[in-house]
Amino acid sequence: MRQMLRLSLRNLGANRLRFALTTFAVLLGVSFVVASFVLTDGLLRTFDTLVAEANEGVDARVRSESDFDEVEFLLRPVDESVLDEVRQVDGVAEAEGVFQSFKIIPVDGTGPDAEPLETQGPPVLSFNWGESTLNPMNLVAGEAPDEPGEFVMDVGAVERENFVIGERYDMIGVEGREPFTLVGATQFGDENSIAGTTILGFLIDEIWRLDGADAVYHQIEIAAERDVAQQELVDNVAAGLPDGVEAITGDEATADDQEDFTTIINIFGNILLAFALVAVFVSTFIISNTFNILLGRRVRQLALLRALGASSGQVRFATLLEALIIGLLASVLGLGCGLALALGLRELMNALGFELPDFDLILSARTIIAAVVVGVGVTLLASYSPARRAARVPPVAAMRAGFRFGSGEGTRRTIIATVLAVPGVLLLAYGVFGSGSTAAVLAALGVGAVLVFIAVSMYAPLFSSPAASALGAPLEKYPGDEITGHMARSNAARDNKRTARTAAGLMIGLALIAMATVVAQSLKETVRAQLGSTVVADYLITSDNNLGFSNQLSSQVEALPEFEEVAAVRDGSFRVAGDTKEITGTELSFLTDLLDLNVIAGDLDATDSLVLTEDAATDNAVGVGDTLEVEFAETGMQAITVGAIIDDDFLSNHIVDLELWEQNFASQDDNTVAAKLAEGVDTEEADAALAPLEGAFPQLNFETRDEFTDRLESQLDSLLVIINVFLGLAIVIALLGIANTMALSVLERTQEIGLMRAIGMTRRQTRRLIRLEAGIVSLFGALLGVIVGLIFGWLAVVAIPDSAIDRLAVPAPTLVFYVVIATVAGLLVASLPARRASRLDILDAIGDL
Amino acid sequence: MEAVLAEPLATSRIVAASATGLTKIYGEGNTRVVALDAVDIAFEAGKLTAIMGPSGSGKSTLLHCLAGLDSVTSGEVRIGDTRISDLSDKELTLLRRQRMGFIFQAFNLVPTLTAEENIQLPLLLGGQQVDPEWEAQVVDSLGLDDRLHHRPDELSGGQQQRVAVARALVTRPDIIVADEPTGNLDSASGQEVLGFLRSAVDKWNQTVVMVTHDPVATSYADLVVFLRDGRLVDRLESPTPDKVLDMIKSLEV
Repeated sequence: MRQMLRLSLRNLGANRLRFALTTFAVLLGVSFVVASFVLTDGLLRTFDTLVAEANEGVDARVRSESDFDEVEFLLRPVDESVLDEVRQVDGVAEAEGVFQSFKIIPVDGTGPDAEPLETQGPPVLSFNWGESTLNPMNLVAGEAPDEPGEFVMDVGAVERENFVIGERYDMIGVEGREPFTLVGATQFGDENSIAGTTILGFLIDEIWRLDGADAVYHQIEIAAERDVAQQELVDNVAAGLPDGVEAITGDEATADDQEDFTTIINIFGNILLAFALVAVFVSTFIISNTFNILLGRRVRQLALLRALGASSGQVRFATLLEALIIGLLASVLGLGCGLALALGLRELMNALGFELPDFDLILSARTIIAAVVVGVGVTLLASYSPARRAARVPPVAAMRAGFRFGSGEGTRRTIIATVLAVPGVLLLAYGVFGSGSTAAVLAALGVGAVLVFIAVSMYAPLFSSPAASALGAPLEKYPGDEITGHMARSNAARDNKRTARTAAGLMIGLALIAMATVVAQSLKETVRAQLGSTVVADYLITSDNNLGFSNQLSSQVEALPEFEEVAAVRDGSFRVAGDTKEITGTELSFLTDLLDLNVIAGDLDATDSLVLTEDAATDNAVGVGDTLEVEFAETGMQAITVGAIIDDDFLSNHIVDLELWEQNFASQDDNTVAAKLAEGVDTEEADAALAPLEGAFPQLNFETRDEFTDRLESQLDSLLVIINVFLGLAIVIALLGIANTMALSVLERTQEIGLMRAIGMTRRQTRRLIRLEAGIVSLFGALLGVIVGLIFGWLAVVAIPDSAIDRLAVPAPTLVFYVVIATVAGLLVASLPARRASRLDILDAIGDL
Repeated sequence: MEAVLAEPLATSRIVAASATGLTKIYGEGNTRVVALDAVDIAFEAGKLTAIMGPSGSGKSTLLHCLAGLDSVTSGEVRIGDTRISDLSDKELTLLRRQRMGFIFQAFNLVPTLTAEENIQLPLLLGGQQVDPEWEAQVVDSLGLDDRLHHRPDELSGGQQQRVAVARALVTRPDIIVADEPTGNLDSASGQEVLGFLRSAVDKWNQTVVMVTHDPVATSYADLVVFLRDGRLVDRLESPTPDKVLDMIKSLEV
């Protein structure tokens, strides 16, 4: 056993470069996994701490009870009188009301040329500034607002937007633009900013005015007198609260707030982890390939061991031991690199527009275990098959030259491939067509994809040689040097297994990128088509983040002669049979005039009716004329008659007229305004007419339908870029694998290269030989990947409901581009082994036995 | 033994390749080895010259330096009128390709190419077409007509060496350099190969320089030169195996 260990270590030491390369490939995968855990843990702790700090000193919180919101982001507010009541309660030392608004938009100056701040990221948060200890923020420069027209802003935003204390800046509220003065800069604990959110502070009366609310608070924070426990305080306070308002302890409030962040961070972390696992998957192929090649070179040594008396088991053990050492080393190094990568990821995310805060680097037990499992697991898994083959080397191979491993493996491999492919396809089919919880479907898709990938790469040797030969054929036409191309082609086609395995890594990365691209393109074209066919309106006015805006705007647009048929659309939530659902409010005539929806049953005449899509009607087992019990946040349980059934859930599954909305919702903001051009009016005239409104509402988008669609498409493109960047790491690993294989290939063919150099092959020809071979293999992998990716993309499009994606769109030029880039990358990455090959000493090379 | 210089050349004899003051030293300090010590030699065109000597005598080193496969520490090597040390790696490579032929002891052929492709290899590397008549002549003389489309692993050792000879001839080089060409062959195949080399000299006026340790091989040579300890110590014209054996014995004393 110790002998075996020594032998393993010696072997590794003797081939330091290969050892290093192999370890590096595993390391990359482990690092990515570690980084995603470290990032998640770090962000969780940062936000938990942030929330805890914010709620310091808060012993109880009063807020409205309804556990669903009628509009996003905020709870129903509580009346001011509740605050007065609470202040009277025994045990209450201090109580302050908090009012929050997302509607107030700061402008970067004053006057008509000044631009509102970008609202693409998190929305601007405004709240009322109070002097009490319950205020989580503190002033670091200037002073607090104490007069109308003054505001404070967080230091992060001040620096980012180059605001200056003492200068005037407009604020856009529900009444339009008004000038304000920045009087101070604030900090949250030690943080200059929370994830890049801009935070504004106003006097309570000012914020009420700007928001359009009055005498309400979203929550009331309470500090207890000394020696009064949180629960006791809550009990005291709760006694005097009106219906629909509740009190919770400070601890419960903190836990609630933390959960909001936790959910998002965990989703983000899981997505990162998924990308990391792709990288790990790819590196498994690379390692497996490397071990197989190395095995081929060590046949003699292994045979010698066997001739000297080592059993098969011992040989297998020794091989696995080498792999284990590599795996452990990669795991340990991967922990360190993962920490660095986590920081790198943060920079990357910031560069892509997400503003992540600083975080502590935490190596939790879970992270360490994951690193070891991945590092050791990958290497052992990859070396299992080569180890078994190593054990089968007969002793006589030490004496006889030219021992080759039997090729009876082919049939066995095909059988295993099929055994994997069948459940893989079935799982994919279930994921695509089946119903079940989201987790089950995603798991089925993930596992199915992995099985199919493995199966494809096991089938690949069946056609890799003819494919490589076909792809390499044009190289032989290179004028003046056909022989290099000919040799590259026959080398690539020579070993079908090695070519297949080397190409497999690139195949996986490209398949995923191709799939993402196909899905994105299909989504883009569906959106364009749907908008084109369903939306008859010429102009759309929307806000980023779909924030509501004043309904004054739609009246003002209606007043313009350039437009006829103006409709406002409002988005909200309500409850049907206990489930929270989306609901849209708009003039019912809009559905057929400005949209191209079809009424299947009933009519749109009754403004107090509910309009459902076919699906919603079926789900609730109602038809036209039936009554449905629903619950609104503001008015509670209501019974509404179903007036019509339409065919398309373009807006949502439930639609009511604005009249009904006004009766049942507290918020009367619009989310979209749609308008049709009047007869004979062109877009230039319309734009000119809208210009003053744009000035009053600079945070909104005033777009023609085409402009709106273009903007959506470019947002999708940005998302696609992000996905491709993350898949890029898997591609990098695959390219490393190609370089590694070429380097080993050069090593194997040292004698041959030496001979050819002696006969008269120049260094440049040598380099070209190696690069072309790598190019052929890369091209094969890329093409195979794109084909697999197309199939996966098609499956994904079929799986996704038609309301989101209803057609398959294949961006052929983009896919061709990816293939070209991958091939060129393969060519480039082989430059290093190519250079080494060209610099071989001829005599040493020829003498290499 | 005094160093024996090449005979002063009569102007009617052409020198295919020559070395002047050729010295090759490996390593430094304790590990310093003088493989060649100021060797002067000229190889006459149209002759088959054998280089013999005990192991460690520097015979292979001399051949390698001559062929431009190894660098020299001092001295000069010429192929024809071209001074090798002046050449860049690319020029040297082209020189080897166009004006030299190589036959190694083992591993002469590229495994993935057919016999014909191996034969044509020097021309293919230069992107040139082979002269079909010349190739046919060479192939025919070497008895390889029905072997042209076979791969090296389908040929016997002797056949492989014959392919190597054909390759060496296909460019009609200034000089063919052979490093123990029969070392891995049985005596019958070995004699065959030597016979082909001899007829290449006789029929086509090729120049062959061969390193060998086999006295029988020298009977095919016009001239045998002997090396010991990196120096040229003797020469023998029109050698026979007996005369060569005697010479070797006397050298080893």
